[in-house]
Amino acid sequence: MTKDRPIPRCKTGIGLRSQHATEIAAARPKLGFLEVHAENYMAETVAVDRLLELRRDYEMSLHGVALSLGSAEQLDHGHLGRFKTLIGRVEPVLVSEHLAWSAIGGAYLNDLLPFPYTEESLGLFCRHVEEAQEALGRRLLIENPSSYLRYRHSSMPEAEFLTEVVRRTGCGILCDVNNIYVSAMNFGFDPIAYLDALPIGAIGEIHLAGHHAAEDVDILIDDHGSRIAQPVWDLHAAALRRFGPVPTLIEWDTNLPALEVLLDEARHAQELADVHRYVDTA
Amino acid sequence: MSTDMLTLLELQMQLRRAVLGGDTAEIVAAIHGDGLDPAARVGIYRNHAFATLGASLQATFPVICRLVDKRFFAYVAHEYLRGHPPHSRCLVEYGADFGDFLADFEGCEALPYLADIARFEWALNVAATVREAPPMRPEALAAVSAEQAAYVALRLQPSLSYLASAWPIDAIWQANQQNEVPTVDFSGGGTKLEVRRAGEAVAWRRLDPASFAFRTALADGLVVAAAMAAATLLDPAFDLAAAVQRVFAEGLATAYCLSPEQEPMR
Repeated sequence: MTKDRPIPRCKTGIGLRSQHATEIAAARPKLGFLEVHAENYMAETVAVDRLLELRRDYEMSLHGVALSLGSAEQLDHGHLGRFKTLIGRVEPVLVSEHLAWSAIGGAYLNDLLPFPYTEESLGLFCRHVEEAQEALGRRLLIENPSSYLRYRHSSMPEAEFLTEVVRRTGCGILCDVNNIYVSAMNFGFDPIAYLDALPIGAIGEIHLAGHHAAEDVDILIDDHGSRIAQPVWDLHAAALRRFGPVPTLIEWDTNLPALEVLLDEARHAQELADVHRYVDTA
Repeated sequence: MSTDMLTLLELQMQLRRAVLGGDTAEIVAAIHGDGLDPAARVGIYRNHAFATLGASLQATFPVICRLVDKRFFAYVAHEYLRGHPPHSRCLVEYGADFGDFLADFEGCEALPYLADIARFEWALNVAATVREAPPMRPEALAAVSAEQAAYVALRLQPSLSYLASAWPIDAIWQANQQNEVPTVDFSGGGTKLEVRRAGEAVAWRRLDPASFAFRTALADGLVVAAAMAAATLLDPAFDLAAAVQRVFAEGLATAYCLSPEQEPMR
């Protein structure tokens, strides 16, 4: 299996949305990498051609959102095949997916849905990660989700579950700092303790994004639709202290602002990473 | 059944039903309240599914949305999502059968052309997104012997769609691009359209009945001789050589095969 090609540590990138593609192609802003949702480029569309043009100037990360590794049924082999084809075209530096499920019984629900953390689901999830890594010929980074519900029969904390997936499959972790913060606020756990429970060497990428408070219930919603909140920057600093400077991505998927706003967030993340190069890791 | 005994598959099928607007009673028994009604927690996921998939449909079918108004569209989209959730995990492929769904949907009888407009918008969506293949040069057919000529079938550009409607759907669509919708002339009857990608843009045009029959038959994979027969029924003077020449000149053909041998396309 091919390991991720090393990208210089402490590189900062942004999520590429089609609305910004023309401007990025013209202005060529200095960025460590661009990340795209793999599913947006799996059909034989003109968007793929535009992506490959940008690929000449930027390292790319492919972020899968629909492989549904947590589904209690077989992986979709057609989808895996399309993912592999895209990896062959893009030659990404990083390939990632989620600790979640999104399809069952032939219906794709377009969300990252939680599943209970049990011995049964751990065995199943690990089999799917191994199968996907084998089929794609790449090590996967698995991202911790933001959650709005927990199951009564979960028998282990999420960080412990994820750590065990890493131990059994050799995958890495995409540590979404905003997701940790959102879930911690929604369920009342300590986000620092969550960071401390993750294996340091496995962190291959960090995600940062905005969230908002729901109107009618006391819940934070992870919407990738605003600037990164100060408590999330603070948690990110704690993550950098623990993990060292890790490739970091600014995600913004709804209420898309001008490109300059994303670049500004990326600059801030890069400054934080630069500072933490001189701080001992835990 | 106690939640301890619930298999992961059963639990996921329960959450699927709840997220798609069905019963939430089963799944809430498996969920921690954590200070909230578990049904409200499920509601966050359901709202997300309907909001994002509904927005995807609205982006693909803007004229349908305008014709039936936003509130009715939200209701139609809701019913469509419940009964026809996406099968493909690439959302650009979601909505192909929305026109068929509308054709049978109660409450749309006053707009009999609605289903055909949806099919037209789907064709525009395909043409806007799908990559064109390199056109085949007519010289490639030089390898075909005279005896084989009757068995040639062509593969056409993947961005192409052929639509026949009893209504002037292109005029209705065009009228709804403007703020003040002008009166559409229905006196000319229906239309036969070819939709495709042309460079960086989407293009469509009306075809005469014989050309429409010829190209639709080719698109369906029929051999050229059969397409010719269909066209000649509508126009005894149909000029096959000129029709084939136009298909190549317009870059519509991308490959050919010899049927019925079912050789691979080349």
